Amino acid sequence: MRGVATAAILAIVGLSGSMSAQTSPPTRAKTSGKSAVPRTREGKPDLTGVWQGGTTIRGSWEEANTGTGVGGTGKDASAPVVLSSNDRPAGREGAPYQPWAARKVLESYNKRGIDDPAALCLPLGLPRLPMLGLFPQQIVQTPTQIVILYEYMSVFRVIPFRTTHPDDLLPSYMGNSVAHWEGDTLVVDVTGFNDKTWLSGTGTFHSDSLHIVERYTRVDKDQINYDVTMEDPKVLTKPWIIHSNLMLREGTHLQEYVCPENNLDPGYYEKLLKEGVNFTRP
Amino acid sequence: MKLRSGLWRLAVALPLLTVPLWAHHSFGAEYDANKPLTLTGVITKVEWTNPHSYFYMDVKDDKGNVANWKFEGYPPSVLVRTGWKKDVTMKPGDAVKVFGWQARDGTNWAHSREVTFADGKKLFFGPPSGTGDGGNTPAVEVK
Repeated sequence: MRGVATAAILAIVGLSGSMSAQTSPPTRAKTSGKSAVPRTREGKPDLTGVWQGGTTIRGSWEEANTGTGVGGTGKDASAPVVLSSNDRPAGREGAPYQPWAARKVLESYNKRGIDDPAALCLPLGLPRLPMLGLFPQQIVQTPTQIVILYEYMSVFRVIPFRTTHPDDLLPSYMGNSVAHWEGDTLVVDVTGFNDKTWLSGTGTFHSDSLHIVERYTRVDKDQINYDVTMEDPKVLTKPWIIHSNLMLREGTHLQEYVCPENNLDPGYYEKLLKEGVNFTRP
Repeated sequence: MKLRSGLWRLAVALPLLTVPLWAHHSFGAEYDANKPLTLTGVITKVEWTNPHSYFYMDVKDDKGNVANWKFEGYPPSVLVRTGWKKDVTMKPGDAVKVFGWQARDGTNWAHSREVTFADGKKLFFGPPSGTGDGGNTPAVEVK
């Protein structure tokens, strides 16, 4: 019982920072306390493990992906509906883009994301990549740094525990990340982005002024609450806050994903656009 | 009491925010959800490649004419996680039935979804239609 209460409090504490700034309540499961949060020798939560983003279903990869959704096996048609990629979840407010920028986002939507950087095999960027559900990601935590390996596009992040970024940042797809602890929440500050990725959803571009704060709160053995605040004064009217989750997938191993191996999309897109393809939705 | 009520509300709303992301490209950019098709034929080639795997199938029409169709699907790592075994599950010469959607350019190219084997077993070779193309609601408000 004590474990349940403690876990619930930890979950609420972990959310408090972002709840104050958002306009809709975060959607979070009651922390079950089914199993304790693994901790390091220093007493901090240990996030080490292989995780699946954008889901709340517990279990192994096989157990958790039995539905008919993206990447599911279809064995259990009654399993929770899995939304696709760039779909906007029910209940989520529109992204707070400036009017001119919102029109640009809409252009991509109306072209069904034919301009998605992923189609060029480029890194997805943040926070799109951690929320990816089709491919696993692996977190390796040490006392001095955290390394996150993403199967999709074979991208990695090396995140030192420090409070400041280097002065000589080169703009990059995944940005420069530094981490610190706020209680039991790992706070990762990311800056130094280029402007070549999408944030979350079709066409959600950003500028090189993007600044992201990620909050990872492991609320029990199986679940990390992933809360993201995006700031970009060049394109957004206010911070854009998204809440998502990472679920532990014990027994899953990252595999190779070499996107450029046989990428037919750029040539096909060029053909379609040349022929004046109609992207009208049903 | 107020806290308990809040937690209950959060738990109920939780499934709405599951957003696994399809990659590597939008379904709607390449395929037409208004052109579903079910074809039966014989596999001629299977390619386990990134970012997408492909298989080719000879399809015979009523007049006996044979056309070779190309079907796109998951990359190898996802195929493995959805129950496929390379060079075992589906091989050239196998007779299968495929459900999917045709490419926007109207050629013999399709997005494959479900493959039904001779023994009745079914596996998904690709995701549902409409994945990754923005869904029914854009990320921004439409004004």
